[in-house]
Amino acid sequence: MNAKTKAFVRDKFHQFYDKDSYRIEAPPSIAQREFGVLLFNGSVMVRHKGFSDAEELRSFLARNVPLHAYYSTAYYESPQEKMESKGWLGADLYFDIDADHIPTDCGKVHDRWTCKGCGFSGKGVAPEACPVCKGRSFDEKTWACEVCLESAKQETVKLVGMLTEDFGFALNDVIVSFSGHRGYHVHVEREEIRGMDSMGRKEIVDYITGTGLEAEFHGLKGATQRRGMLSGPRLDDFGWRGRIAKGVSEFLKNSSRDDLVSLGLKKRVVDAMIGNNALILKSWDSGGPWNLVKGVGPENWKTIIRKALKTQSASVDTVVTTDIHRLIRLTNSLHGKTGLMKVEFSTPDIGRFDPFKEAVAFKEGEATIVVEEAPEFRLEEESFGPFRDERVELPMAAAVLLLCKGLAEVA
Amino acid sequence: MGVRLVLTKIDLAKYPFTSEAAEYIKLLDLRIENLANPELKPILDRAENRIEEALLNNPPEVSYRERDEDIEISSFPVAVMTAAATNNDYMRRRYTLAEARRAYNLLRFEDDVKILDIAGSVKWRVKRAKGKFSSGGYGFTLHFIDFLQNAESLREKEWKLVNRVIKDGRVYLSKREIARLLQEEVRKHVEAKLRVRVRPMLPENVIERVDRLVQVYAVKSGKTRFEELPKTAVNAAFPPCIRQLYDAAASGRHLSHLGRFALVSFLLSVGVPSEKVIDLFRSSADFNERMTRYQVEHIAGSRGSRTSYKPPSCATLRTHGICPGTDDLCERVRHPLAYYRLRLRMIKTAVPAGQT
Repeated sequence: MNAKTKAFVRDKFHQFYDKDSYRIEAPPSIAQREFGVLLFNGSVMVRHKGFSDAEELRSFLARNVPLHAYYSTAYYESPQEKMESKGWLGADLYFDIDADHIPTDCGKVHDRWTCKGCGFSGKGVAPEACPVCKGRSFDEKTWACEVCLESAKQETVKLVGMLTEDFGFALNDVIVSFSGHRGYHVHVEREEIRGMDSMGRKEIVDYITGTGLEAEFHGLKGATQRRGMLSGPRLDDFGWRGRIAKGVSEFLKNSSRDDLVSLGLKKRVVDAMIGNNALILKSWDSGGPWNLVKGVGPENWKTIIRKALKTQSASVDTVVTTDIHRLIRLTNSLHGKTGLMKVEFSTPDIGRFDPFKEAVAFKEGEATIVVEEAPEFRLEEESFGPFRDERVELPMAAAVLLLCKGLAEVA
Repeated sequence: MGVRLVLTKIDLAKYPFTSEAAEYIKLLDLRIENLANPELKPILDRAENRIEEALLNNPPEVSYRERDEDIEISSFPVAVMTAAATNNDYMRRRYTLAEARRAYNLLRFEDDVKILDIAGSVKWRVKRAKGKFSSGGYGFTLHFIDFLQNAESLREKEWKLVNRVIKDGRVYLSKREIARLLQEEVRKHVEAKLRVRVRPMLPENVIERVDRLVQVYAVKSGKTRFEELPKTAVNAAFPPCIRQLYDAAASGRHLSHLGRFALVSFLLSVGVPSEKVIDLFRSSADFNERMTRYQVEHIAGSRGSRTSYKPPSCATLRTHGICPGTDDLCERVRHPLAYYRLRLRMIKTAVPAGQT
């Protein structure tokens, strides 16, 4: 981003925090929260800020015009003190789902990497080492396409399902938002979870991601005995039991011989499973397929369950949830990498939520920019690009997006 | 919920950590300054005996004396005070565990109603299980937060939340499991009470008993002594996770933030000097001496908050995908430093006699 572009984007952000600041609301118990911002001309976070009400917060944002604005999930006695003397009172339960960490069908073809050592570049996810100079350090330019965000949304749906069905939170206690960039955030502010320590949150993360799950504890019985009926979880069971059954049933319904072989199952076992496929599919109406196929033992089932588990768990960022001092993006503030807003939406509407529409902040005017390279993208109802080394006039939101992404400069 | 009147005097004698027992003790007007009163000798005797049992019984466990309810109830707070006054962490821990195990072994044989009463009296959100799983050995459900707060220190895989049946925020548990979790609740309860600085307030006759108990401990512990770690690090004793991180750093590969933290804090803990730790990162492509030095010294505690950081536990490393998979020794520990200590001992004993 050159100086002219930076001034232009900052000016847009300034207008937003000046005229549209009514959009910024105070988080609950604002006086107990720590705030932090990253400014246009700084590489270090300005933190340990505290505000007593929304008005104070808004005028701070309008005065300082941050590139990114954050506040703490934690509640403190004195949020403006140094970390050691803040007096931690508790923290909300928070989840971050980032498309970056999820394998997606788009193959991340829209991402580009450049080796810092020799300048060699390529598309997709950066390799472990540069194929030319073997360097291991890269400049990465990532993009979040519709496929990426849809995958992140599916993970969010699974997470919300676990929080409401298993953990018993009411749907309106589970606050879902689009981050303004590559993913979704899920926030629970219930009083009862505030005192939970990092260890307890870690257990919740392990539950959500299926880490450490052992099928024996979920009804897969007969694992140790030679004789006796083998039994396992059923589709209508609660919690992970039902999820294991669902995952295995879906996997077996859609898997080919090759899929089964790739799990490392022996040919004899794969043959037995393929041969009895119809029977297995029907078996879910009764006790499940666990004891159905001769030659398919508990260890084989465990292998299949491990695979099925991945489709049922939700990929959340493990660090964010276990960090009880985390700073998170302020709702309705601008994301400095896109110029889009972080926006909350009604949880039951998640299926219909359109991030490229609801998060648009700059709805007026146009700007002429010079684009180096950008993939095709959509904002609201309009599609743009792909662009390469060209000068274009775009609606303001689209122009700011490419400028913030570092893919274009102001003409 | 109001006042519960469901616990009998026998219950209070068995479970003197309940709020009802505390109420009852208040009525007895047992003041510290009165402890010198000869009439209270039977209470002091039993209090001292509770701690003695904790030290000498193996595994540590305080007994339950039937038909002596008043003394069983009132000797508990006195024993807690006495244990606190020893100012000896090992004795406090052992006494705490012994009281907790006493509770567990009594609870296991109670009927369901009593279990609900005791759990309710320590403010647990516990209910009798209904429906599908109630017949499968899970007689109770407990709110997941109460579960997490007490299952946290239990290492067996069955206590991981992901291995439990949960529905509507409630974890399904058997009676034995509820009793086991209550043992943890009691442990924490006693542990918290032991943190009080009580010694200066105690009358002379109680101090004498405290000192006698410290003697009992000294005699018993004469044989066992803690092994110190060697002054210089022994790379061959590193656990697989640290070895992998170490090799990655040495060959300049990128480490995640937590990976770096785990490696640095481990190396510093086993005696590698800060300079050597910094050198390890030199081959990294984005090595920045000033930044690396700042971070290493921060973890060492010579900067910033002055806390020196210990490496994360095995469980944490697993959660964040840093554990590369376990070896035979990993199964026996839950912390990388514990692995190191254990492996060192094995290496030492493997050295043939006569060789030093």
